[in-house]
Amino acid sequence: MSDDTLDLFAAEVSGTAPEGTTEGATDDATDGADHEASPVLTVTQVNRRVRRLLESRWGEIDVAGEVGGWTRHRSGHCYFGIKDESAQLDCVIFRDDARQLPIDPEVGMEIRVTGRLTLYEPQGRYQFVARRVVPLGDEGFFQLAFETLRLRLTEEGLIDPARRRPIPRVPRRVGVVTSTTGAALRDILKVIARRAPWTEVVVAGARVQGEGASREIARALERIDRVGDLDVVIVGRGGGSLEDLWAFNEEPVARAIAACSTPVISAVGHETDHTIADLVADLRAPTPSAAAEAAVPDGDAIAAYIQRARRELEGSLRRWVERREVLVDSAPHRLARSLERRLDPARQRVRSASQGMRFALRGALDRRRQELARGDRLEAVVRGRLERIRARLHRAAARLDALSPLATLERGFAVPVDAEGTILRRVEAFVPGSEFHLHLVDGRVRARVEAREPGE
Amino acid sequence: MHDEDEPTLEERIRRLEEILGSLENDEHTLDEALALFEEGISHVRTSEALLDRAVLRVEELLDDEGGTRPLDGPGESS
Repeated sequence: MSDDTLDLFAAEVSGTAPEGTTEGATDDATDGADHEASPVLTVTQVNRRVRRLLESRWGEIDVAGEVGGWTRHRSGHCYFGIKDESAQLDCVIFRDDARQLPIDPEVGMEIRVTGRLTLYEPQGRYQFVARRVVPLGDEGFFQLAFETLRLRLTEEGLIDPARRRPIPRVPRRVGVVTSTTGAALRDILKVIARRAPWTEVVVAGARVQGEGASREIARALERIDRVGDLDVVIVGRGGGSLEDLWAFNEEPVARAIAACSTPVISAVGHETDHTIADLVADLRAPTPSAAAEAAVPDGDAIAAYIQRARRELEGSLRRWVERREVLVDSAPHRLARSLERRLDPARQRVRSASQGMRFALRGALDRRRQELARGDRLEAVVRGRLERIRARLHRAAARLDALSPLATLERGFAVPVDAEGTILRRVEAFVPGSEFHLHLVDGRVRARVEAREPGE
Repeated sequence: MHDEDEPTLEERIRRLEEILGSLENDEHTLDEALALFEEGISHVRTSEALLDRAVLRVEELLDDEGGTRPLDGPGESS
């Protein structure tokens, strides 16, 4: 009686206990051993006996075979068959165990199943209840799933170093997609608060492990990318087992990262292996803290840079002025030189003219030496005239000097020139109360020295 | 939220680099040189003021419309 109750319970057979089983329950205790006494049995009794036989005869066993078909039921249970050249075995793996599988094995794949044989009493079919399914090759399902997805995303061009966008050096707003209760978020906020407290952080919470985590992370990424007004996004979680991190190896996360209009830093807490998320992201950080370090600059370094920029700005302006001073100072000389070159032919003419005049005068003097008692005086008169010509040339040159630095005047400089046409270069050259001219690019203005204010 | 016309810190720093390079290498009139210098100094001042803001602002995204609430703060939507 108690046996029967236990039996019904274990078999999970719904429905009625057929007539006669209560009376014949003692048969079950011997489990079909007493063939002699066996009367006509019910179907239920037969199936139950076979099931018990199967279950007691076989413990947990490993079976290797080729996947003949794989169906994942809505309930989460997976029904599949394995076969070899000549036989087939129906198998089931229940939801809790099936959840451990990152992918459904494909038809034809060589697998090894671990579990127990049993009989499904309502249909009298015997089946293998698998607890664990692993591929036969060197790689586990996780590696297999990883490689399969990696290959597909690479073919689609989503895993490509050329796609990686630069991470902004100084982000204004940083998005974080992770669990709002996890250590990862705490670590990220700590680093950003320390390095760049002016940054704004937007968090979109998502479960980062367990069933559906991948889709949840993907949705959070899409949302934060669309409405977050961000410069960079960190997506990740703290360290854990391969199974814990698995969401970051799944397609939804990979595609959401690739679709982000904002550069993405992946931060899955594991030092060694890369996840698919790492491969698709614009930057891979080994931990959430490292991701935060990569996302925001060191505020002290920025402050130092800005200080330096201020000093350099001042230095630049000073050097700018100094360069122009050199230019202004040298302009008259350069112009004078070019003027002299231009004046050379004139000088030559004057010189030869004066020479000719001198010869002529000499001749005249020679001829008139006798007549003119003071011929030397005449030569002195001629010399005087030549000197006046030279002086006029000199003044012309000086005036041109004053007008010369045209290029400089064009840039807003004025050249002060005194009545003699001399450039006033130093404060001392300005006589208080005296008039001078300021030569500008388009003319000149008359000015008067009010006061001198020498610089330090 | 972000004022689109207001340069970000990164933009200011990039502009500072440009100004420094330009002042050092390019020909400018006095007016241009002074204008660049003044612009540079204004970026320096604004950046320093920004850096001095010492409190990290953290918001949690609540919905698809971009509604947020301060994280660890009073639970009110902004």
